[in-house]
Amino acid sequence: MSTLTLDARIDAAARLRRQAWRVRGLTYAALGAAFLWCFYVVVVADTDWARLAGTSFARTLGNFMEFDPSLLREMVDPAIDTALMATVATLLGLVLALPVAWLGASNITPLGRFTYVGGRGLMTLSRSVHEIVWGLIFVSAVGLGALAGILAMAVRSVGFISKVIAEAIEDVQPGPIEAIRAVGGNKLQVLLYGIVPQVIPVVLGTIIFEWDINIRRSTIMGLVGAGGLGLVLFRQMAMMNYGGVATVLLAVLLLIVFGEIVSHYARKAVI
Amino acid sequence: MSFALEVRDLHAGYGGRRILKGVSFRVAADDFFAIIGPSGAGKSTLIRCVNRLVEPTGGEVMLDGRNLLALGHHHLREARRHIGMIFQEFNLIERLSVLDNVLTGRLGYTGTLRSVFRVFTRQDIGKALGLLDRVGLSEHVHKRADRLSGGQRQRVGIARALMQDPRLLLVDEPTSSLDPKIAREVMGLIREVARELRVPVLCNIHDVKLATEFCTRIIGLQDGIKKFEGTPTDLDERAMHDIYAFEVL
Repeated sequence: MSTLTLDARIDAAARLRRQAWRVRGLTYAALGAAFLWCFYVVVVADTDWARLAGTSFARTLGNFMEFDPSLLREMVDPAIDTALMATVATLLGLVLALPVAWLGASNITPLGRFTYVGGRGLMTLSRSVHEIVWGLIFVSAVGLGALAGILAMAVRSVGFISKVIAEAIEDVQPGPIEAIRAVGGNKLQVLLYGIVPQVIPVVLGTIIFEWDINIRRSTIMGLVGAGGLGLVLFRQMAMMNYGGVATVLLAVLLLIVFGEIVSHYARKAVI
Repeated sequence: MSFALEVRDLHAGYGGRRILKGVSFRVAADDFFAIIGPSGAGKSTLIRCVNRLVEPTGGEVMLDGRNLLALGHHHLREARRHIGMIFQEFNLIERLSVLDNVLTGRLGYTGTLRSVFRVFTRQDIGKALGLLDRVGLSEHVHKRADRLSGGQRQRVGIARALMQDPRLLLVDEPTSSLDPKIAREVMGLIREVARELRVPVLCNIHDVKLATEFCTRIIGLQDGIKKFEGTPTDLDERAMHDIYAFEVL
């Protein structure tokens, strides 16, 4: 029991609360000041305000509104290319991701910590490099064209696909594995019958999701010369044909909506 | 009298904790042999030491005159082919069909390449269909295993074990996930098929009533030590007291 009177204890508690408030207030003030400083440096000091004030801002925006329907005809093939690139890249990504998932799943990794760390490292490497950077790397490796874009997206996809699969493998129910061992199954049979059926829904769900993302990615792979709609976009930009740019962006939007719809139904079918 | 299975001075444990402390018993060819005892007594570990899903730390497990604990990996898998196992949670592969689940009982006899493509011989498929008829699931052959009820799933588990042409059936708490009526049916079915195929059964079961009703011989385990061995009629109040060590509070 405390020997202090209730009044004294209330005073002490109130004092502590005031102190806590002061600490909190200082923290918020410091954060606010940091934000204002950032805003000043990158927005206030770095912007051409005269241009925003004049008419050219509105005029340029207006330029974007002038869609260029003549482009539609020549966008059909790149749009199909874009969707196909995404599909091929996702499947290639899956093929590359399976061994990485095998290495990076702690319960089945072949050589213990050594291969586990290797697998996890590959996952991180794949995800920590932006797809545009992967694109630049593969364009210089295999030259301009769709192949570079496909390789870039496939390599970028490996990280996510293999990470999700590896985690699904770590979460499998031990029962079926025990059952296959008990009938005298070898390691591969345990993998095929005890583990694979349990992770199949996760694998399918993941590659559908990744395909959806790759549709998005492949629309910009053209920026680094890796084919598809991005290349058309880049050309219109270079010609300062803003209406054309807007038209391509509209096509990209349509393609992405198409991808959303397909993946929505595909995922329903899987689950 | 000849014994199908002889367990001698079996020890097991992990990480300093001793779970089995020298258990010995012998199972005759026509035995339905029960292991009873309180939770944590080591029943589950004991049964898994026989087919080495759990590695024992000492002792001998003689099946048809061969010490299973002395076998290398390759021969162990060969030995496991002939030891059927039935599980508390059925341990089916949920997304495969009932028929495919029964066929997995044949994996020990099936080459790796054939099992990759799930190709089983006509003979195996015929055998599986026959066993599914026997356990009363002819209507459900092509359903996915996760669409069946608990009792039906355990019947799939029984058919899978029989698919192995077992020389011994290990049965781990076959009724714990089932309601009392279905539990009796499942125990009855295991007893019938074991008699028909002349396979000895080693069965963990915490339900003493079921054990005395269906089994021919019982051992009682407590804290890794065998406290009782005898026929169901030998299992009197005193023996129960020894096994379950009811403490007077």
